Amino acid sequence: MPVDGSQASLDALALSCSLARKTKNTIYAVYVIEVARTMPLDAEMTAEAERGEQVLSRAERIAESLDYEVSGELLQARDIGDAIVDEAVERGVSTIVLGVGHQETLAEFELGETAQYVLKNAPCQVMLLRSAIEE
Amino acid sequence: MYAIVVGGGKVGYYLARELIQGNNEVLVIEKDGAKCERIAQDLGDVVLKGDGCEAATMEVAGFGRADMVIAVTGDDEDNLVSCQVAKVKFAVPRTIARINNPKNEAIFRKLGIDTTVSATAAILSQIEQELPEHPLMRLLTFKGGGLEIVEVKVPPASAVVGRRIRDVLLPQQSIIVLLVGQDGTPRVPTSDTTIQAEDEVLAVTPTENEETLRNILTSPPGGSEPGSSDPGYGRPGPAGPYEPYR
Repeated sequence: MPVDGSQASLDALALSCSLARKTKNTIYAVYVIEVARTMPLDAEMTAEAERGEQVLSRAERIAESLDYEVSGELLQARDIGDAIVDEAVERGVSTIVLGVGHQETLAEFELGETAQYVLKNAPCQVMLLRSAIEE
Repeated sequence: MYAIVVGGGKVGYYLARELIQGNNEVLVIEKDGAKCERIAQDLGDVVLKGDGCEAATMEVAGFGRADMVIAVTGDDEDNLVSCQVAKVKFAVPRTIARINNPKNEAIFRKLGIDTTVSATAAILSQIEQELPEHPLMRLLTFKGGGLEIVEVKVPPASAVVGRRIRDVLLPQQSIIVLLVGQDGTPRVPTSDTTIQAEDEVLAVTPTENEETLRNILTSPPGGSEPGSSDPGYGRPGPAGPYEPYR
């Protein structure tokens, strides 16, 4: 369950909690810090790590309010999509739940690179929750 | 070590794979999207789609912290540009370029590329070694460039046959490190060692003196051995380049 602090990702987390309560599945909330190639992968990214911790705390609070528990994980990677898929494979998860906003470029709906990568490469099932179009 | 490989063809792919296996951080830069996907599938997130000659791509790729840039595209010009910009703009400590046309080797060296690798030249040297008279072969270029180990076969008609090493006027900073006789016996040279016909001479020499060294070791008497007044040459005797042998 990747979270980036956006409303779409937190809505998707809430949905995951509702669904997982029935099946009693574990939810992993993952925040990925994308590290530019100009820095080593294990570079200290204090500001980004702080923001990640805040987003994960928020995710945990949302889960608690829905009477569920999530375990948060902060990752550093070159590419967010790649990190999400790798983490899913490593943990053997059954479903990745992605929240995406409604993005339009030149009046064309656009699915972000990360969502496209996960949809294409994740070996497990992927659920996509798109936010409502803002008026 | 962070190594950037420019070009994701067969050479680039296998090179990246070996470097990754050696626990190095590797990034392959490749223009072709299909090749990028193949590399990513096999090797993971180690590929960047882009032009390795463009400064913007180089910036994103992290040339500024690279320990080594290896340009192995099928295009000599691209390899030259990648390595030269890596060297000049990003101060990459070591640049290695693949050369497809051996004639481009000199210009790569002049422009400061540390090491050049030419499959064509390597195959030619293997063929030439079988020929009775083969030119100088470059065996190794030292890190940082400038110095290399070369092999020269001494023809029977050479002016240096029968002469002691101390009496041969070699280019400055050129040192004979090993002689291999016709029967394959190696000899560690001293200043009194005599050069014999058909000896394989292994020498360390600055790149710019390579041709002069070859002329000295292969030219017949009255050939191109220079006089001691030439500023590019050492002097025989105690002050000459063979002092360490004494």
